[in-house]
Amino acid sequence: MDTEVRKTAIVKSDAMLVTAVSCYDIFDLHTQTESGTLGKGAAFTFIKAVQAVNKRLAMHNEKEALQFELILLGKDCEEQIKSNIFDSAKHYGLEIGRFYFCSREDFIETLKANKVKLFLSTDRDDVYSALKAGFPAALLCQQVSQQIQDQLKVLFSGDLIAHSEDTIDSLKDLGFSDVQIQNFKAGKSCIREFAMLIGEMRKRFGCEDSPLHIILVTVWGSRDVSATALKTLRGWGLYVDEAYCLAGAPRSPVLTTVQPHILWDDGLHFMKGTSHGGEQ
Amino acid sequence: MNPSRQRSAGQGDPLSLEKMKAADPLSPARKPKSPKPENAITIAVSSRVLFNMDVEQQIFEQKGMEEYLKYQVDHETEPFAPGPAFPFIKALEAVNAQLRDLYPESEELFDVVLMTNNHAHAGIRLINSINHHKLFVERFCMTGGNSLIGYLKAYHTNLYLSADSSKVREAIDEGIAAATMFSPEKVTQVSETQLRVAFDGDAVLFSDESERIYKAQGLDKFFEHEQAHENKPLDHGPLKGFLEVLGKLQRKFYAKGHRIDCPIRTYLVTARSAASAGSRALKTLRAWGLETDEALFLAGAPKGPMLAKIKPHIFFDDQMFHIEGAAELGTVAAHVPYGIAQKQPPKRMKDSVEPNSTQKGPQLLIN
Repeated sequence: MDTEVRKTAIVKSDAMLVTAVSCYDIFDLHTQTESGTLGKGAAFTFIKAVQAVNKRLAMHNEKEALQFELILLGKDCEEQIKSNIFDSAKHYGLEIGRFYFCSREDFIETLKANKVKLFLSTDRDDVYSALKAGFPAALLCQQVSQQIQDQLKVLFSGDLIAHSEDTIDSLKDLGFSDVQIQNFKAGKSCIREFAMLIGEMRKRFGCEDSPLHIILVTVWGSRDVSATALKTLRGWGLYVDEAYCLAGAPRSPVLTTVQPHILWDDGLHFMKGTSHGGEQ
Repeated sequence: MNPSRQRSAGQGDPLSLEKMKAADPLSPARKPKSPKPENAITIAVSSRVLFNMDVEQQIFEQKGMEEYLKYQVDHETEPFAPGPAFPFIKALEAVNAQLRDLYPESEELFDVVLMTNNHAHAGIRLINSINHHKLFVERFCMTGGNSLIGYLKAYHTNLYLSADSSKVREAIDEGIAAATMFSPEKVTQVSETQLRVAFDGDAVLFSDESERIYKAQGLDKFFEHEQAHENKPLDHGPLKGFLEVLGKLQRKFYAKGHRIDCPIRTYLVTARSAASAGSRALKTLRAWGLETDEALFLAGAPKGPMLAKIKPHIFFDDQMFHIEGAAELGTVAAHVPYGIAQKQPPKRMKDSVEPNSTQKGPQLLIN
């Protein structure tokens, strides 16, 4: 494992929410300026939103231990790209504490070695690999525009939270495949840990004017499923700001309006046997 | 197949199989499945028109957001009383039941969506209230302060009803039929089996072009103009589309022999007079392929008494003067803030809190 590490001076403690993201999501490796600065990737604005949260946390309490600590992962990167990544991060003023470059096979090991508490990626397969290895992991959403939002939006699936281990297998009756069920179970496994951490962070801010917004979207279930999810999250110490219940309506138009950064996926996409063909 | 377990949802317990099967269209003891938004006639209602939240609104205005939300959570198990849109929503459900009987496969049904700026902390109380009143509201958007417009569009909203006139205006500007609802001063018994919707003509079904002439040049010029242009259809107003979808549903009932006893009845209640300007109104409707069951030309007389006779579930008008007159005599009236009449502020009705009037911080209105 070839790991190059560069540390910058930030508050270090076990309470930090060590969050690993992929350099492919933050930068666009295919576009470069002459000086070698990389273009902004699909989830670039996520970093800025996280930095805004950290700033507000520090404003409330200088010694705040619970902040995001960002780690940038690069899988199978060439040497030239590595230095472009360092330079680009500096150029854009990104507060990234550590950079790890590893091979594709070693990325789970890298997560373990660095006690990563949250792994984010736009690649669903990577997210499920991490979940199955026991790491809280969620989708990093492609932002529609590069405009900086004033809130970091974290989205949870109400269907995932409300259903128990017992009822999951019966989802096959509704037409979900085995792979989807496996992904659903994987999503369920680490969600409580993550919800409690984010809940702790959310409590540092008031109801209004929070730089962190928690969103609940229930796609398949109707209002009672949403109520169960809201109560479950509340029991874990996580208070939801926005809640949407679709009862089977298409999710894309709502997600496009919500524009989340982090999405805790439930794996229930491309449902067969209903008239919702295509991306749901 | 897993055995079903009787656990009530909403206790923080995982969901029982029973509830999940309720969502499955093939399961026998099921709630009807919600129609797809593009097929349904979507009525978006805010929390304050669906339920009476006067007490809570006052707490919000006087003590701020945190106190308001704490109150909501503390009173979570106490359902709200019905709000001004409640009888209208119940009537929509009655029509749905009859449509399902006649057309079991069709998704052309009313779909009521709770569309509110409210923070999700108030969510459980709202859901409990919906359950208590056995309303068929399966979908909701609680945006925690963010704009509703994107969500109104995501649901293909056909009509948006709110207590907040600024949100209604925003929706109309975006081309969504919308109206601000006011509670009547006394309660009128309305039909539980027949949905009755009354519309003003100018600046509601039609554009405000003729009203502009009346305001600028007076009544005589208005009559002259209307008669000269009798055969030229007026331009459409913000609620034309809603009348259109009601008409579409009516024809489905007619097709199954329910002409006389159709569960939907529409009324045009206009200040135009039958003798002169009324003709252009009727011809415009006809040109659009639309009709109302009754057309009442009041020639400038107050609308309140006529509406009290009709007993509609909702009456749409662009002028607050008529809204007030209707509400005085017990009609649920909804203001359409469109057109030239809006230059004048409302006279007596207590409108909801406008942004920047009492709130210092972000414009987080409870809707």
